Amino acid sequence: MLPRRLMTVLQCAFTPVVKAQGTSKLLPRSLALWSCTSWRFLMLGVSRHNGDNKRDSPSTRQERVTRRGATSTFTLFTAGAARKRAELAKSKLGNKLMDIPKVANTAKTQIPINPLSIDEWKKLKADAYNKTRFEVRMMEKLLSNHADIDVAKSLLVFVTMETGTIGYELLLKYLALCVQGHHLNEVLDVYAIMKTKFKTMDIGANSLFISGFSKTDRWKEALIFLDSIKKMINPSPRNYGDVIISALQHKEVETAWRLLNEMESRNLQPNEETLQAFFHCVKSSCDKQYENMMMNILSYLRDNQIYPGETLLCSIQSWFESLPGKVWEGHKTTIEYSGECHKCNTLLESIQLSDEEYNILRDCVMNDVIQGRDVFKKTTPEELQHFQSFVKNRLPFDVVIDGLNVANISAKGTQSRILLEVVSHLAQQNLRLLVLGRKHMLRGTRNWDKSHMAAIQKYADCFFTSNISEDDPFLLYATILSGNHCKFVSRDLMRDHKACLINKNARRLFFKWQRGHQLVLSHYNPGHKIKFEVITKYDTIMQSTHNTWHIPYEEEGVERSSYEVPRRWLCLQNITEKK
Amino acid sequence: MWLHVTHLFQNIGRNCTLQINNWVKTKMGLARYHFMFHSRSLVLTPCARIEEKNVSPDKIDLDIWKTIMKENATETPDPLSSEDSGDSFLAATRELVQMWQLAGKTVPENITDEQLRTVQELATKSAKKKFLKYLAIKEGKKKARKEKQKLKQETANILQKEVKSEERVELKNTFLLQIWQRTFDVMYSWRTAQSMVFGQSLVFDMSYENYMNRREMENTVSQLLECEGCNRRSLDPFHLHFCNLDLHGVYYKELLKRYGDAWDNLLITATDKSYIDIFPKDKLVYLTADSPFVLNTFQHDKVYIIGSLVDKSIQTGLSHANAKRLKLATARLPLDEYLKWNCGAKNLTLNQMINILLTVKDTGSWQEALKYVPTRKHDGLLSVPLEQRYWSRIRKQRNNFEAEKRARWQKST
Repeated sequence: MLPRRLMTVLQCAFTPVVKAQGTSKLLPRSLALWSCTSWRFLMLGVSRHNGDNKRDSPSTRQERVTRRGATSTFTLFTAGAARKRAELAKSKLGNKLMDIPKVANTAKTQIPINPLSIDEWKKLKADAYNKTRFEVRMMEKLLSNHADIDVAKSLLVFVTMETGTIGYELLLKYLALCVQGHHLNEVLDVYAIMKTKFKTMDIGANSLFISGFSKTDRWKEALIFLDSIKKMINPSPRNYGDVIISALQHKEVETAWRLLNEMESRNLQPNEETLQAFFHCVKSSCDKQYENMMMNILSYLRDNQIYPGETLLCSIQSWFESLPGKVWEGHKTTIEYSGECHKCNTLLESIQLSDEEYNILRDCVMNDVIQGRDVFKKTTPEELQHFQSFVKNRLPFDVVIDGLNVANISAKGTQSRILLEVVSHLAQQNLRLLVLGRKHMLRGTRNWDKSHMAAIQKYADCFFTSNISEDDPFLLYATILSGNHCKFVSRDLMRDHKACLINKNARRLFFKWQRGHQLVLSHYNPGHKIKFEVITKYDTIMQSTHNTWHIPYEEEGVERSSYEVPRRWLCLQNITEKK
Repeated sequence: MWLHVTHLFQNIGRNCTLQINNWVKTKMGLARYHFMFHSRSLVLTPCARIEEKNVSPDKIDLDIWKTIMKENATETPDPLSSEDSGDSFLAATRELVQMWQLAGKTVPENITDEQLRTVQELATKSAKKKFLKYLAIKEGKKKARKEKQKLKQETANILQKEVKSEERVELKNTFLLQIWQRTFDVMYSWRTAQSMVFGQSLVFDMSYENYMNRREMENTVSQLLECEGCNRRSLDPFHLHFCNLDLHGVYYKELLKRYGDAWDNLLITATDKSYIDIFPKDKLVYLTADSPFVLNTFQHDKVYIIGSLVDKSIQTGLSHANAKRLKLATARLPLDEYLKWNCGAKNLTLNQMINILLTVKDTGSWQEALKYVPTRKHDGLLSVPLEQRYWSRIRKQRNNFEAEKRARWQKST
């Protein structure tokens, strides 16, 4: 305390002098130095080490809390599980997270219901809160309220009377209103006007014309608009979809097919209505060639892991049922964990990767997840070398355990005890175990008892990475290297590691592998019960045998996250042979 | 009570009807006695007809704008697209930008060919829109600034005129000449020169050129400029080192462009050598937000390294990896220990970093230094910083221990 008091006294003594010199508080350097050293003495070496996650924002902390507490009957990867977890967490936190209902923006100027005369518009404009861009704003409001087109027309009359012309922006909004209300003749009229008035049109206008024209007899002109968009920018799936639907409606399947292929080459994913249109239109015209085309679409869905929604599913089902010469029967079902369909008792495709796929995945995980652009980001080369030799000498393992993740699964009990219980439970089943952790676990603190750690090391092989390295990549690598039978225990969804994979195909393989090999602790009571979630034996993907089709689909009203798969299926059975 | 009230109302009503009837009788003799309710439509019909007349032309008129527009169109065919440059693709992009502007999107009014080319090179629609929005905002700011300058100049002109009108100002008697900026500059550069000989070194690691895009690079350079300025104006400046500066790189070019001729007179050390070649390894401390170690005390014999990197794409662990590779000591600022952190990333800008370091070097107080952390990121200082809590706990434990000892001693005696 003394030096500080001294310093203040000295400062007081110095300040008058300093002011006279004209610069702000000029302390002699020696004094500053000295004061610093005194502070250093005060704060001697309090360095905090806690192993994981330095950038600990409130949100991640929250996530961890929810992960610790959540016990769900769902498996981790079924659709809607994430939603359920979130709700559980919310209810646990109580009213803290109650979101405040948004105050509805009260419209300052009311939207007229009937067409107004010019004078009335004038009056409305004079009363308006914001007079700049009044017309455009009004048109936007009409658009968002699905207003009658006559009102918009009367507004346009008012504008022409006031200024003599109509601006591009206003016309564009009006066009959007016409397209929204299916006033196709108006669209044609507006097109005629805009074509004479403006030499070129922007993307918004073009795509509006596409969706407007594609519903009329002049739908072929929509193709021209599509071309003009292509000149400027990559068209959206919606643009393509509009044209394709109209082509299908006019029985020009060739064009539709060509456009669909073009979409694929541009890496655009067709939306549901487009695909539905294919199934609808082809239903009426039955042909062997068309059938093949539809099979192509189905295989496209399979390759890209697109799960159809319920409306699309209905049209797929009705298409199958309308196929001539064969009798198909469709049912909505669920699948047993063993992979057997409830309806037709066929076994679905296995979730195990083929050898070739497995090799691809192994290389990708090694190159992208662990090494990446810079080995030092996640580990060090020495550590990696050490780990590789360690794993090679002890292969193969049956289960690889993420020590830190497992230890944090419950808030009750010390972390080392939880880990020990899980490890001993698994060891009783005669499995070769590998526990991955960080070095700080060995130091013997309140949470990490040394005797527990010693017991764990008896049951299993252990590898401890340094405190600043990431342990998840090692976990993945050890599991993959051990072979197809090896599983890993963790509650982590591994999304960040999946994102590290550059190749899209590799990402898909990783997800498939993860679903088949991740053991998730679902129930845990200290000292009593350890239960893992059942790993499904089948792959959730559209698939067929010679007389069945199984299509997973998205239920309505169920929110599916990107790392979840649907659980409802459509079972299509060919029962011609039976009859 | 209610009976009274209704009675009263009835009375009033009767009076009124009587009055109206009388009035009607006097005004128009034709009206019958009880026209109030029965003949109402009869009276109002002429009015309604007038209204209908008002409405009906409107309904016919609804499409009149089309004819007007068509007439207009023949008068003025395409007001746009007068330029026809050789590059057709470029022209198409220019047209697109123009039409976007007409459609009310935020795009710049004037765009140079170079900017257009960058727009073209961008891969996606959203990237194009983002870049154009950035240009538009830049343009708007420039316009506003110019307007402001104009206003300023006008007022200055007026003032000058006033001064000229009252020409004769008596000279004051002062003992000091006014201290001009030049004097300050001399003092600052004197101090910086001194620090280059005796001062503590601070290193900016410029090896992240490949991890940044153009915008980030520009931001980094402007932050570096600000750093240098802050350092120069401080009481006890650091000796700045720009290490790993590639003399053929974009970084160097941008720095030269910003500084101009001043670059050669700058009192810093810029080299293409690495810091490990210049300083002893055990003196180096890499400051990075990913470090597990906290910088509790600022040490005057260490050389701190700051990675000059703006990462908007949040590339976690980039500078930490660098430090790990060279096996350097790392440290992070004690942000969590002193501040109630609210939101935002813990990586601070370069000028905030140097301001914090300068303050902590001069005063030794983190509370003072961490005032440079943007206030939107935290909810103020913690009332008792973590260190003090730690020490008070230790002291309490020690006291308890001593008390126990004393008790034991008393027992034994």
